[in-house]
Amino acid sequence: MSAVTWRGVFTFNKYSQITASAVRKSLKEEQRLASEKRGITALRYQVWENGKGGNQVTLDPAQESDPKKKTAAV
Amino acid sequence: MAALRLATSAARRAPSAIHISRRGYAEASDKIKLSMALPHQSIFSSTDVVQVNICAATGDMGILANHVPSVEPLRPGVVEVIESSGSKKWFTSGGFATVHPNNTLTINVVEAAPLEDFSTEAVRTNLQEALRVASGNGTEEDKLEARIEADVYESLQHALGSK
Repeated sequence: MSAVTWRGVFTFNKYSQITASAVRKSLKEEQRLASEKRGITALRYQVWENGKGGNQVTLDPAQESDPKKKTAAV
Repeated sequence: MAALRLATSAARRAPSAIHISRRGYAEASDKIKLSMALPHQSIFSSTDVVQVNICAATGDMGILANHVPSVEPLRPGVVEVIESSGSKKWFTSGGFATVHPNNTLTINVVEAAPLEDFSTEAVRTNLQEALRVASGNGTEEDKLEARIEADVYESLQHALGSK
């Protein structure tokens, strides 16, 4: 059982992300398309100085361009 | 005199006797308040249900009214909710079930869907793919991830097979 072995490698958050995406991928076509966006966790930030916004920095570019691609972040 | 002493001691014992009877076996006629929530949807919100069967990390369990307070981590599996009108099953990806002291049960999971929303073919192909990656020569992390996914698919197949 993987239940015992994942702890040393993944955090609980990562583990629940993996199981959630596996559940999403098993849905019927219609529900799967609707649910796919939920798995995306993307974050962009921007530093504002003197009323002007600086560059937008994407924390995990791979996640934003291709959410299905697996990343070891988190 | 002895009879009087017996009567007073019985009176003294009476309140605790009432208290104990409240903590006995749950009666099937009693209801438990269930709240089941996903990050994007609330499936039940303080709804009176008869029984909830969950796949806890330590084993499968059924929760009736007046259950002892507890926190149970859930493994990927079926949550069955039995209402007086009938029962319904969801497949959940894992999360937590908490029984509160006031006869309330909350289930928080990341992803859940009714069993009829799953495609048997998708599960089968996903399982094959996951098993292939798990036994391939990727990194240890990739293989473990595939192993976790394969466990989800196997559990799904089992749930769909026994629907």
